[in-house]
Amino acid sequence: MASFLKVLFRNLLDGPSTDPYPMGPTFSPQRIRGRAKVDPNLCMGCGMCRYSCTAGAINIAHLPDGSGYTITIWQNSCCRCASCRHYCPTGAMSVTDDWHSAHAEKDKFNRLEQQTIKYEPCADCGTLMRPLPAHLAQRLYAGNKEIDQEKIRHICPKCRRIEDAKRTARRLLTPAPEPMEAAELTSAASTRY
Amino acid sequence: MSLDKMLQKISVRSPWLFRINAGSCNGCDVELATTACIPRYDVERFGCKYCGSPRHTDVVLITGPLTTKVRDRVLRVWHEIPNPKVTVAVGVCSISGGVFRGGYSIEGPIDRYIPVDVNVPGCPPRPQAILEGIVLARSIWLKKLGLEE
Repeated sequence: MASFLKVLFRNLLDGPSTDPYPMGPTFSPQRIRGRAKVDPNLCMGCGMCRYSCTAGAINIAHLPDGSGYTITIWQNSCCRCASCRHYCPTGAMSVTDDWHSAHAEKDKFNRLEQQTIKYEPCADCGTLMRPLPAHLAQRLYAGNKEIDQEKIRHICPKCRRIEDAKRTARRLLTPAPEPMEAAELTSAASTRY
Repeated sequence: MSLDKMLQKISVRSPWLFRINAGSCNGCDVELATTACIPRYDVERFGCKYCGSPRHTDVVLITGPLTTKVRDRVLRVWHEIPNPKVTVAVGVCSISGGVFRGGYSIEGPIDRYIPVDVNVPGCPPRPQAILEGIVLARSIWLKKLGLEE
């Protein structure tokens, strides 16, 4: 009897457990996966998202004049698996918490996330390319102090290879800074040569 | 205003729901059951109620990508629903084919065969998103009845 009264009073005090939505506010779990988004500053157009997209919702179309590409996500095909976010090498893909998806039929093909991204000319040879995102360049070249990150992320892979060859040549041509010891030299002469 | 119209205006408030599974994986059906059965989402606040017969239906919720096997049955059941009816496509499968698009046994998306009024994408959509869709469907239904602008 007493336990019943306890439940009764608790229910009276707590009020209804029904979420007032859509007449009132509702909650969103922290990690809910809603609309997919692409950051035009980070996207390199590698096509990993298109390849990994389970529902085939992502399309990458090159502009007819070759000056860039358009990346399109059709939200009505996206199954919110977040594979694109997981596999994106530059972190350009993200999944927002916007889950408000109900819409009338006339908006069916308007629910697009579309970004047109232009190529930039390579700082050395002028070939059109996408610059490497800064945070990626920082991670890639963290161990090498002679590389200017800001310069190398704006040059194309071919020029990067040339730069690398130049650096190697410089290293080989400059003499070793510390002279070897005599004992080491003689043993080296007998074994190495 | 005629008495007929006035009676219609004060009596019609409750669209009854009907659920058609057109080859769905059952994910969206679970979410539809959630909106009806769990007090937190309670779809009956809008006067909606799941009914067992297509002849009592006002708003029909279709889940699944419309497989070859169920296509004719879905169409038969859908044509049994009296007009005016509002069709809601729930889940990406029924809207665009979703992950099943291009499969050998997929006839969909639904709007290739059935005029759809409201889309609720998601895989599956949140119960709140389904509620949004049902509220939208309800206003479209009232418009079709001529009771709301």
